[in-house]
Amino acid sequence: MKTKRIDHIGIVVKDLQQALQTYETHFGFRPDPARGGDVPALGIKNAFVPVGESDLEFIQPTSGEGPVATFASERGEGTFMLSLEVEDIDAAVAHLRGLGARVGDPRNGVAFVSMKSTHGVNLQLVQRS
Amino acid sequence: MGIGATHIDHIVIQSNDSAATAKLFADQYGIEIKRTMSRPGTRAHLEFAKLQEVIVEFAGPGEVQPYDEVKARLGGFVLAVDDIHAAVTSLRESGWDVGEPHPAVQPGALITGVRGRTNGVPLALIQYNARPLEENSQ
Repeated sequence: MKTKRIDHIGIVVKDLQQALQTYETHFGFRPDPARGGDVPALGIKNAFVPVGESDLEFIQPTSGEGPVATFASERGEGTFMLSLEVEDIDAAVAHLRGLGARVGDPRNGVAFVSMKSTHGVNLQLVQRS
Repeated sequence: MGIGATHIDHIVIQSNDSAATAKLFADQYGIEIKRTMSRPGTRAHLEFAKLQEVIVEFAGPGEVQPYDEVKARLGGFVLAVDDIHAAVTSLRESGWDVGEPHPAVQPGALITGVRGRTNGVPLALIQYNARPLEENSQ
Protein backbone atom coordinates (compact mmCIF):
# COMPACT_ATOMS: atom_id res chain seq x y z
CA MET A 1 0.00 0.00 0.00
CA LYS A 2 1.22 3.44 -0.87
CA THR A 3 -0.24 6.59 0.62
CA LYS A 4 -0.28 9.35 -2.01
CA ARG A 5 -0.62 12.47 0.10
CA ILE A 6 -2.30 14.14 3.03
CA ASP A 7 -5.78 14.78 1.73
CA HIS A 8 -6.94 16.88 4.65
CA ILE A 9 -6.65 17.57 8.34
CA GLY A 10 -9.92 17.58 10.27
CA ILE A 11 -10.33 20.25 12.94
CA VAL A 12 -13.26 20.18 15.35
CA VAL A 13 -14.63 23.62 16.18
CA LYS A 14 -17.53 24.82 18.28
CA ASP A 15 -18.75 27.41 15.80
CA LEU A 16 -18.04 26.68 12.14
CA GLN A 17 -18.91 30.13 10.78
CA GLN A 18 -16.84 31.87 13.40
CA ALA A 19 -13.82 29.63 12.70
CA LEU A 20 -14.13 30.18 8.93
CA GLN A 21 -14.39 33.92 9.44
CA THR A 22 -11.32 33.94 11.70
CA TYR A 23 -9.15 31.99 9.29
CA GLU A 24 -10.35 33.92 6.25
CA THR A 25 -9.93 37.34 7.83
CA HIS A 26 -6.57 36.76 9.44
CA PHE A 27 -4.98 33.98 7.39
CA GLY A 28 -6.56 34.56 4.00
CA PHE A 29 -8.01 31.04 3.87
CA ARG A 30 -11.20 30.76 1.84
CA PRO A 31 -13.51 27.76 2.01
CA ASP A 32 -14.31 25.87 -1.16
CA PRO A 33 -17.98 26.67 -1.83
CA ALA A 34 -18.39 23.46 -3.81
CA ARG A 35 -17.78 21.23 -0.83
CA GLY A 36 -19.02 20.88 2.71
CA GLY A 37 -22.33 21.66 4.36
CA ASP A 38 -24.68 19.82 6.67
CA VAL A 39 -24.11 16.09 7.02
CA PRO A 40 -27.01 14.91 9.21
CA ALA A 41 -25.98 11.27 8.95
CA LEU A 42 -22.72 12.11 10.76
CA GLY A 43 -24.19 14.77 13.02
CA ILE A 44 -21.88 17.45 11.66
CA LYS A 45 -21.56 20.38 9.36
CA ASN A 46 -18.25 21.06 7.71
CA ALA A 47 -16.27 23.19 5.29
CA PHE A 48 -13.09 22.50 3.34
CA VAL A 49 -10.38 25.13 3.05
CA PRO A 50 -7.62 24.47 0.51
CA VAL A 51 -4.08 25.23 1.68
CA GLY A 52 -1.65 24.19 -1.03
CA GLU A 53 -2.25 20.60 -2.12
CA SER A 54 -4.15 19.65 1.02
CA ASP A 55 -7.25 20.93 2.79
CA LEU A 56 -8.21 21.89 6.28
CA GLU A 57 -11.65 20.51 7.13
CA PHE A 58 -13.43 22.47 9.82
CA ILE A 59 -16.08 20.35 11.51
CA GLN A 60 -18.80 21.43 13.90
CA PRO A 61 -20.92 18.82 15.68
CA THR A 62 -24.63 19.35 15.17
CA SER A 63 -25.85 16.58 17.43
CA GLY A 64 -24.78 15.11 20.73
CA GLU A 65 -23.83 11.78 19.26
CA GLY A 66 -20.99 10.50 17.11
CA PRO A 67 -17.23 10.74 17.23
CA VAL A 68 -17.10 14.47 16.53
CA ALA A 69 -19.52 15.26 19.35
CA THR A 70 -17.58 12.95 21.66
CA PHE A 71 -14.30 14.67 20.76
CA ALA A 72 -15.86 18.10 21.31
CA SER A 73 -17.27 17.02 24.64
CA GLU A 74 -14.05 15.49 25.92
CA ARG A 75 -11.41 17.77 24.42
CA GLY A 76 -13.20 20.81 23.07
CA GLU A 77 -11.71 22.11 19.86
CA GLY A 78 -8.60 20.86 18.06
CA THR A 79 -7.07 18.59 15.47
CA PHE A 80 -9.33 15.60 15.14
CA MET A 81 -8.48 13.49 12.15
CA LEU A 82 -5.91 12.86 9.46
CA SER A 83 -7.16 11.91 6.02
CA LEU A 84 -4.78 10.03 3.72
CA GLU A 85 -5.35 9.74 0.00
CA VAL A 86 -4.81 6.27 -1.43
CA GLU A 87 -4.95 5.11 -5.03
CA ASP A 88 -7.35 2.22 -4.50
CA ILE A 89 -9.52 2.29 -1.40
CA ASP A 90 -10.67 -1.32 -1.74
CA ALA A 91 -7.10 -2.56 -2.11
CA ALA A 92 -5.97 -0.41 0.81
CA VAL A 93 -8.68 -1.76 3.09
CA ALA A 94 -7.89 -5.33 2.07
CA HIS A 95 -4.19 -4.71 2.68
CA LEU A 96 -4.77 -3.27 6.14
CA ARG A 97 -7.18 -6.01 7.13
CA GLY A 98 -4.60 -8.53 6.00
CA LEU A 99 -2.23 -6.96 8.51
CA GLY A 100 -4.84 -7.30 11.23
CA ALA A 101 -6.01 -3.69 11.27
CA ARG A 102 -9.63 -2.90 11.94
CA VAL A 103 -11.03 -0.86 9.06
CA GLY A 104 -14.61 -0.01 8.20
CA ASP A 105 -16.11 -0.84 4.85
CA PRO A 106 -15.45 1.81 2.20
CA ARG A 107 -18.38 4.05 1.46
CA ASN A 108 -18.30 6.68 -1.28
CA GLY A 109 -14.54 6.32 -1.52
CA VAL A 110 -13.95 6.80 2.20
CA ALA A 111 -12.99 4.32 4.91
CA PHE A 112 -12.24 4.86 8.58
CA VAL A 113 -9.53 3.01 10.44
CA SER A 114 -10.17 2.02 14.04
CA MET A 115 -8.06 4.05 16.44
CA LYS A 116 -7.19 0.75 18.09
CA SER A 117 -5.17 -0.02 14.97
CA THR A 118 -3.35 3.31 14.75
CA HIS A 119 -1.98 3.84 18.28
CA GLY A 120 -4.93 6.17 18.80
CA VAL A 121 -4.61 8.45 15.77
CA ASN A 122 -7.94 9.09 14.08
CA LEU A 123 -7.29 8.09 10.47
CA GLN A 124 -9.43 8.22 7.37
CA LEU A 125 -8.56 6.82 3.97
CA VAL A 126 -9.95 8.45 0.86
CA GLN A 127 -9.79 7.66 -2.84
CA ARG A 128 -10.14 10.59 -5.22
CA SER A 129 -11.34 9.84 -8.69
CA MET B 1 -5.69 40.13 3.86
CA GLY B 2 -3.71 37.05 4.69
CA ILE B 3 -0.41 35.68 5.88
CA GLY B 4 0.89 34.47 2.54
CA ALA B 5 0.61 30.78 3.40
CA THR B 6 1.66 28.56 0.53
CA HIS B 7 0.97 25.13 1.97
CA ILE B 8 0.85 22.96 5.06
CA ASP B 9 4.53 22.37 5.71
CA HIS B 10 4.22 19.66 8.30
CA ILE B 11 1.87 17.98 10.67
CA VAL B 12 2.84 16.47 13.99
CA ILE B 13 1.80 13.09 15.35
CA GLN B 14 2.68 12.95 19.02
CA SER B 15 3.40 9.56 20.53
CA ASN B 16 4.84 8.14 23.70
CA ASP B 17 6.94 5.96 21.38
CA SER B 18 7.49 7.91 18.18
CA ALA B 19 9.70 5.21 16.66
CA ALA B 20 6.98 2.59 17.09
CA THR B 21 4.27 4.86 15.69
CA ALA B 22 6.45 5.84 12.74
CA LYS B 23 7.10 2.15 12.07
CA LEU B 24 3.38 1.40 12.16
CA PHE B 25 2.69 4.12 9.59
CA ALA B 26 5.57 2.90 7.45
CA ASP B 27 4.57 -0.76 7.61
CA GLN B 28 0.83 -0.31 7.19
CA TYR B 29 0.50 2.83 5.06
CA GLY B 30 3.72 2.83 3.08
CA ILE B 31 4.79 6.16 4.56
CA GLU B 32 8.55 5.98 4.27
CA ILE B 33 10.58 7.40 7.13
CA LYS B 34 13.24 9.65 5.62
CA ARG B 35 14.97 10.99 8.69
CA THR B 36 15.37 10.28 12.39
CA MET B 37 16.82 12.65 14.93
CA SER B 38 17.04 13.57 18.57
CA ARG B 39 16.43 17.26 18.97
CA PRO B 40 19.51 18.98 20.40
CA GLY B 41 19.04 20.13 23.96
CA THR B 42 15.97 18.02 24.58
CA ARG B 43 15.15 14.38 25.08
CA ALA B 44 12.79 14.28 22.12
CA HIS B 45 12.98 11.57 19.49
CA LEU B 46 11.69 12.68 16.09
CA GLU B 47 11.07 10.74 12.90
CA PHE B 48 10.10 12.36 9.60
CA ALA B 49 8.33 11.26 6.46
CA LYS B 50 7.17 13.30 3.52
CA LEU B 51 3.99 12.95 1.49
CA GLN B 52 4.36 15.27 -1.47
CA GLU B 53 4.66 18.75 0.06
CA VAL B 54 3.67 17.83 3.62
CA ILE B 55 6.16 16.51 6.16
CA VAL B 56 4.76 14.10 8.74
CA GLU B 57 6.64 14.45 12.02
CA PHE B 58 6.41 11.71 14.61
CA ALA B 59 7.41 13.26 17.92
CA GLY B 60 7.99 11.54 21.21
CA PRO B 61 10.28 11.27 24.20
CA GLY B 62 13.87 10.20 23.86
CA GLU B 63 13.45 7.48 26.43
CA VAL B 64 10.56 5.06 26.04
CA GLN B 65 9.23 3.00 28.88
CA PRO B 66 9.04 -0.56 27.52
CA TYR B 67 5.90 -1.36 29.45
CA ASP B 68 3.99 1.59 28.03
CA GLU B 69 1.06 0.97 25.73
CA VAL B 70 1.85 2.98 22.62
CA LYS B 71 -0.46 5.96 22.50
CA ALA B 72 -0.42 8.60 19.80
CA ARG B 73 -2.55 11.51 18.78
CA LEU B 74 -2.69 14.14 16.13
CA GLY B 75 -0.89 17.30 17.20
CA GLY B 76 -0.64 20.63 15.47
CA PHE B 77 0.67 21.72 12.12
CA VAL B 78 2.98 24.24 10.56
CA LEU B 79 2.09 26.56 7.71
CA ALA B 80 4.75 27.61 5.22
CA VAL B 81 4.62 31.32 4.45
CA ASP B 82 6.36 33.54 1.91
CA ASP B 83 7.44 36.17 4.44
CA ILE B 84 7.35 35.23 8.10
CA HIS B 85 8.03 38.73 9.35
CA ALA B 86 5.15 40.15 7.29
CA ALA B 87 2.88 37.34 8.50
CA VAL B 88 3.80 37.97 12.13
CA THR B 89 3.24 41.71 11.74
CA SER B 90 -0.14 41.14 10.12
CA LEU B 91 -1.33 38.80 12.85
CA ARG B 92 -0.02 41.00 15.67
CA GLU B 93 -1.81 44.02 14.23
CA SER B 94 -4.99 41.98 14.52
CA GLY B 95 -4.29 41.18 18.15
CA TRP B 96 -2.83 37.72 17.79
CA ASP B 97 -0.17 36.47 20.17
CA VAL B 98 2.69 35.42 17.90
CA GLY B 99 6.23 34.66 18.95
CA GLU B 100 9.36 36.17 17.50
CA PRO B 101 10.66 34.24 14.47
CA HIS B 102 13.74 32.20 15.36
CA PRO B 103 15.97 29.73 13.53
CA ALA B 104 14.32 26.40 12.85
CA VAL B 105 16.05 23.04 12.66
CA GLN B 106 15.67 23.19 8.89
CA PRO B 107 18.62 24.93 7.22
CA GLY B 108 17.93 28.55 6.42
CA ALA B 109 14.45 28.52 7.91
CA LEU B 110 12.76 30.70 10.52
CA ILE B 111 9.84 29.47 12.59
CA THR B 112 7.47 30.88 15.19
CA GLY B 113 4.38 29.81 17.10
CA VAL B 114 0.88 31.28 16.99
CA ARG B 115 -0.78 31.14 20.38
CA GLY B 116 -4.47 31.27 21.20
CA ARG B 117 -7.48 31.86 18.94
CA THR B 118 -6.48 28.88 16.79
CA ASN B 119 -9.47 26.72 17.74
CA GLY B 120 -7.36 24.47 19.88
CA VAL B 121 -4.81 23.79 17.15
CA PRO B 122 -1.12 24.09 17.99
CA LEU B 123 -0.03 26.22 15.07
CA ALA B 124 3.28 27.55 13.81
CA LEU B 125 4.58 29.43 10.78
CA ILE B 126 7.77 28.64 8.91
CA GLN B 127 9.63 30.40 6.13
CA TYR B 128 12.34 28.62 4.21
CA ASN B 129 15.30 30.48 2.74
CA ALA B 130 14.81 33.17 5.37
CA ARG B 131 18.39 33.41 6.60
CA PRO B 132 21.87 32.77 5.27
CA LEU B 133 22.78 29.10 5.33
CA GLU B 134 26.07 29.80 7.13
CA GLU B 135 24.02 30.64 10.24
CA ASN B 136 23.23 26.94 10.55
CA SER B 137 26.75 26.11 11.50
CA GLN B 138 26.59 28.36 14.54
